[in-house]
Amino acid sequence: MNDVVQSEPFVMNIGPQHPSTHGVFRVKATVDGERVVDAEMVIGYLHRSMEKLAEERTYTQNIPFTDRTDYLSSMSNNLGYCLAVEKLAGIETPPRGQAIRVIMAELQRLASHCMGAGAFANDTGAWQTPIMWFMREREKILDIFEMTSGARLTCNYMRIGGVAFDLPPGFEERVREFIAPMRQTIADGEGLLSGNEIFLARARDVAVVPHELAINASLSGPMLRGSGVAWDIRKADPYCGYEQYEFDIPIGYRGDAYDRFIVRLEEMRQSLRIVEQALDGLPGGPHSTEVPLALRPPAGEAYARIESPRGELGYYLVSDEGPSPYRFHIRPPSLINLSVLREMTVGGSIADAIVALGSIDIVVGEIDR
Amino acid sequence: MTRWWDGVELARVAERLVPGSVARAEAGACLLRPERAVETLRALRDDAETDFAHLTNLCAVDLWDRFEVVYHVQSLVRNRIACLKVETADRESPAVPSVTEVWQGAWLQESEAYDLFGIRFEGHPNLQRILLWDGYPGHPLRKDFLAMPGGLQPGLNEFAGAAPRPEPPVRPVP
Repeated sequence: MNDVVQSEPFVMNIGPQHPSTHGVFRVKATVDGERVVDAEMVIGYLHRSMEKLAEERTYTQNIPFTDRTDYLSSMSNNLGYCLAVEKLAGIETPPRGQAIRVIMAELQRLASHCMGAGAFANDTGAWQTPIMWFMREREKILDIFEMTSGARLTCNYMRIGGVAFDLPPGFEERVREFIAPMRQTIADGEGLLSGNEIFLARARDVAVVPHELAINASLSGPMLRGSGVAWDIRKADPYCGYEQYEFDIPIGYRGDAYDRFIVRLEEMRQSLRIVEQALDGLPGGPHSTEVPLALRPPAGEAYARIESPRGELGYYLVSDEGPSPYRFHIRPPSLINLSVLREMTVGGSIADAIVALGSIDIVVGEIDR
Repeated sequence: MTRWWDGVELARVAERLVPGSVARAEAGACLLRPERAVETLRALRDDAETDFAHLTNLCAVDLWDRFEVVYHVQSLVRNRIACLKVETADRESPAVPSVTEVWQGAWLQESEAYDLFGIRFEGHPNLQRILLWDGYPGHPLRKDFLAMPGGLQPGLNEFAGAAPRPEPPVRPVP
């Protein structure tokens, strides 16, 4: 056959404006026929230089920036940053503030995974039905965020030393009403997709990341767990009292796109468990400690990390006793999870490359910052 | 709970594995000599006691007369994390060896540090700007790169360039 059909490799751009790239993200794929022989990513379309801007603002003024890095999980980003400042300045959060943070971070994980799992189903060809189911539930979470913080997407709810305001009346009922339909939607989504022949053909054994490569390439979050490494910062390095809650770490065994999808669905169930436990044991007392507005942490450095929906989100702060951070660095899980993009895509078809990209669940605002 | 390696203790382990590898050790971090850094980090990765299989975070810090590259490395099995640092010799042509052959995860993070700080990572397979475009003037995260034209800082009534080095240029009005 090869003697008859001759093909030459050529460069094809996937993105930057294409729904399958989930933002302004471009892959320069060299293809030979339908087969990808090389893939190079081009990023920076959304670069806003937040790290530079943050060096010129006070610690409190920087919290809204963190909303806008990973815009699908602003609560988690707020939390990671506030934890880093608290570590740097030695500030304690009251128990109620910690429990509220846990509830918000887990609701945010649910919202983000709704988007991630739904968009992944879209990429594999399960056109619009699963994503609409998940978006319906995500809408309820955004309503809960709106009643709590006043904003749906860029919540800006966490503060250094706690949260901005206490939970509104009726919060607990709203969350409890939401849990059962969410469970049902996860079951529906899994029932529709996990045994579906087309979905299996598209996702099973596609974009495989062996666990040695996953560790060596600094992957984190569902990417790492999908490859069979049971590493979750909530368990390994608990923050905000995660050690009090009972939950499991789901892992995959093959490290393919399908496993990552299933890991995300299972994580959503675990998040619901954590939310229920946190609501049951919600302590009283203040929601925040008093922190001076012009905070000047002692000179030094701090690295704090959380398990964001996409993986290990770290904030590295250096203080020179000034009112603004001397160095503000975000460890973006979306960017670092792209380290294996070439390994995942080369050798497969173009359609598989789209599935591989969807299974990483990137947010371009966080890649470019 | 993840335990942090004490810098002095880690320096002892590094010295045992690769003699002459440590430049300075503090409580928070262990500073490696640039010329032995790759060898040392590989030894620390493969050693059973340290087992730093996962490079968590890599970033650079501007220290006015030099740059510092910070590595946060961890062992997933032992659940321990450590902070290691390498300093560049000067500010004019900063360079440190690349650790991409030790950890693949360093690839993108080193490219980012090259882009925003102008630190050359020697041995990096494809060192080029990733966030900004080729030909962009300067490296924005350097402290002498001023955020706005004229050196005026947004929101602050003070000229940044007015303060002499090594005083950081950005200070709000008291």
